[in-house]
Amino acid sequence: MIATTVSDKVVPKSLDALRETLERCDREGLKVSVEGGKTLSGMGPVLPRADVSLITTSLHAILAHEYHDLTCSAQSGVRVAQLNAVLGAHGQFVPIDVPLRKKATIGGSLASGWPGPRRHMYGRARDFVIGSQVALADGTLANAGGMVVKNVSGYDMSKLYIGSFGTLAIFTQLNFKTLPLPKKRRALVAPLPEATRSRAIERIASLVVPPAAAFCVEGFGKNVDGTDDIDGRVLLYFEGTEELLERATLDTRSALGKAGVPETSIVDTGAAESLDRTIDACIVNKRGRSITYRLFGSPGAVEERAVRMRDACNRHELFTDVLFDVMNGDVFVRASERDAAHFAAKLEACHAELRELEPRCSIVAGDSAARASFEAWGAVPPAIEKMRAMKARFDPHGTLNPGRFIGGI
Amino acid sequence: MLKQRLIEALGADAVKTEAEDLAVYAFDAYSQGVVPAAVVLPANTREVAAAVKIAKDCGEPIIPRGAGTGLCGGAIPARGGVVFSFSRMNRVLEVDVRNRRARVQPGLINLDLSKHVAASGLFYAPDPSSQKVSTIGGNIGTNAGGPHCLSYGTTVNHILALEIVDENGDVTTTSLDDVGYDLTGVLVGSEGTLAIVCSAWVRLLRQPETVRVWLAAFDDINAASAAVTGIIGAGIIPTALEMLDRVMLPPIEAAFHAGYPTDAAAVLLIESAGFEDEMNLHENEIRRVMKENSATTWRAAKSQAERDALWAGRKGALGATGRLAPNYYIQDVVVPRTKLPQALQAVEDACAPQGIIAGNVFHAGDGNLHPLLLYDRGDPKQVAAVIEAGNEILKAAVDLGGTISGEHGIGYEKRDTLRRIFSTDDLATMSRVREVFDPRRNLNPEKIFPAGVGCAEVA
Repeated sequence: MIATTVSDKVVPKSLDALRETLERCDREGLKVSVEGGKTLSGMGPVLPRADVSLITTSLHAILAHEYHDLTCSAQSGVRVAQLNAVLGAHGQFVPIDVPLRKKATIGGSLASGWPGPRRHMYGRARDFVIGSQVALADGTLANAGGMVVKNVSGYDMSKLYIGSFGTLAIFTQLNFKTLPLPKKRRALVAPLPEATRSRAIERIASLVVPPAAAFCVEGFGKNVDGTDDIDGRVLLYFEGTEELLERATLDTRSALGKAGVPETSIVDTGAAESLDRTIDACIVNKRGRSITYRLFGSPGAVEERAVRMRDACNRHELFTDVLFDVMNGDVFVRASERDAAHFAAKLEACHAELRELEPRCSIVAGDSAARASFEAWGAVPPAIEKMRAMKARFDPHGTLNPGRFIGGI
Repeated sequence: MLKQRLIEALGADAVKTEAEDLAVYAFDAYSQGVVPAAVVLPANTREVAAAVKIAKDCGEPIIPRGAGTGLCGGAIPARGGVVFSFSRMNRVLEVDVRNRRARVQPGLINLDLSKHVAASGLFYAPDPSSQKVSTIGGNIGTNAGGPHCLSYGTTVNHILALEIVDENGDVTTTSLDDVGYDLTGVLVGSEGTLAIVCSAWVRLLRQPETVRVWLAAFDDINAASAAVTGIIGAGIIPTALEMLDRVMLPPIEAAFHAGYPTDAAAVLLIESAGFEDEMNLHENEIRRVMKENSATTWRAAKSQAERDALWAGRKGALGATGRLAPNYYIQDVVVPRTKLPQALQAVEDACAPQGIIAGNVFHAGDGNLHPLLLYDRGDPKQVAAVIEAGNEILKAAVDLGGTISGEHGIGYEKRDTLRRIFSTDDLATMSRVREVFDPRRNLNPEKIFPAGVGCAEVA
């Protein structure tokens, strides 16, 4: 027995087992649902058909940490937090800012292409991938890149697989370049009512020492703060030397003060956890009675987009929790109701209005029943035909996560 | 037929077909290809699309070309065809200061973009040594790097969206903000084999508050390599960390008066940029590492003029080789940083037995070596020796766990070498992407892929 099979779940213990499973499924016309930590399974549509769930979590070896070279390599089932714990022992990390990072696998995180809040400073997680190995639909293993920090040898195939939701290939191994850990972290938290928010955002955007991450939050009380506080607030997260953080604190307090924010609290112990909770909140689901939309865009108009989406939900008498990324422009709006029946009754019209306002907003969290009713990814991008052709070329039998991604890919 | 149709679509002043004009476009900074049938200079995306359709109808290969500064034959017409030159599509179309991005045309010269946005406190980070002449489109094609990509990343990290024309002449766009496959990430570095870039949204960065540049000299090149490892090991990633060796220091100093010591075995040029509050910490740490590794000289540039002089020497290094030999052949390989001493020894071992002098000026912080093999093109024996030594260097880099190109690309020169780092399955997988974009292999043919890697191996 090479793989552990429970019902239709296959948890390969080895690369060979994974390859053999794929080869068999592809040959026999079985549809494969690919799973890592299942943390982002609320993104996109419900798979129309899956005969086999292939779970990568048993491929969990950290293969190398060449800390003098600032590189590492790990199998795709390694958890994000686990990888960073190992790197942290040598004062390094990889900025993979995904929700539920203790559970999320690196393969799943990269396959989802989740763009984290620190990307304006460090770059996207994709920018840290220096090499990869994937299993193609027929079980063939293919390598890309290598273990050096600079490499322009042929197409950067890793980029193609990152964010492809496992519809082209399955990550089996990822190589990263790493960064030195920041000396210190600090979160600054302040109440931020809507009336003063625009001014505050402008001040934050022009801070000389920019925060590594900055969120405006409405609602999400228990998720972000562990309290019932649902008033607007801002969370700024800084990384750097002690001296730099002291300067950033002074500058930020002054800037927010001028914007009409009288008081800013400092969180040193637990600053990173504050950031984690905020990222986690992006996908927190109220079972059967909530759905969360994400919309990308430029930071310059982020508040405007967030308010527009929130107000649309409110017009349909749905509760909203709103979270937006001041530095990158991402908006998350969770629409919910007190019970599932009322939620279901209101959602369809709300969804239609949101899509009219923001055709490219996509669903990132919500129960299967809610997601199954709608086209989850939003408007298809201009290059969708190239993407369809890519899917056909890489997975001609439609074996890998068929229908999982945008445009029914 | 081809000439007439191109002139009808683009106008006579945008089409070159005279032999003396075409001859120039058979070359790039690496080598000579086949004289093309025509050169077009489109003024906009519509004209690019029209010319692509005409070339396709006439069965002519299409070769996109930036400034022709590429060092691996990526812009030479390997089978003739129509060369697309973007010298008339060289403008900054839009600057969005609030969101720190700009939309530019492919023919824009790299350095001109930073100059254009400097007054807004912004800059474009990728800075290949050719940045005074090389274009953004060419940089996208090769995923160009440069000294400062050590901390800022290569071109792919700075491209947000692309407008492209495909081999059918159809126009489409790709964006990192689109949900869907990251076609932008694959197009960057594809050396014009997938599509022609007609405009790009690029990321701009804030100019750093403080920039410091230091020079350290060593009596032993291995000590300099150890110092590189020491800096990275201390948890500091400078914005640039460059090495110049004893062969290159005298001609560079003679040419540029950069202030380099001419009697050192190696010099490290180190730049750190960021906030004043962090720079003192960086300086102290770096100085400690230099001392531990027996640096004989440690000097901080005290003014902008001094910083500029130190960089002028580094960026002009290739030109200075003219003082040593009539010709040079530059290799581009990457090894893990800790393998620098072995890699430098391998360069010496490859060149010395052949009687070739090799100089080294390279991105030490990235492990990206650029051995300069000095020779006389008029001597066939030297040419053969240089080719053999270049191959030895490639082999050594791969054996040390490295790769065959860090920033110059594969182009025509290294396409058969790709098999040294990728299996047939790896290459066939790459080839699937080509099949999607350019099934007839008409876009910049005979680049990147080794001969024989095609759809037959994919099927």
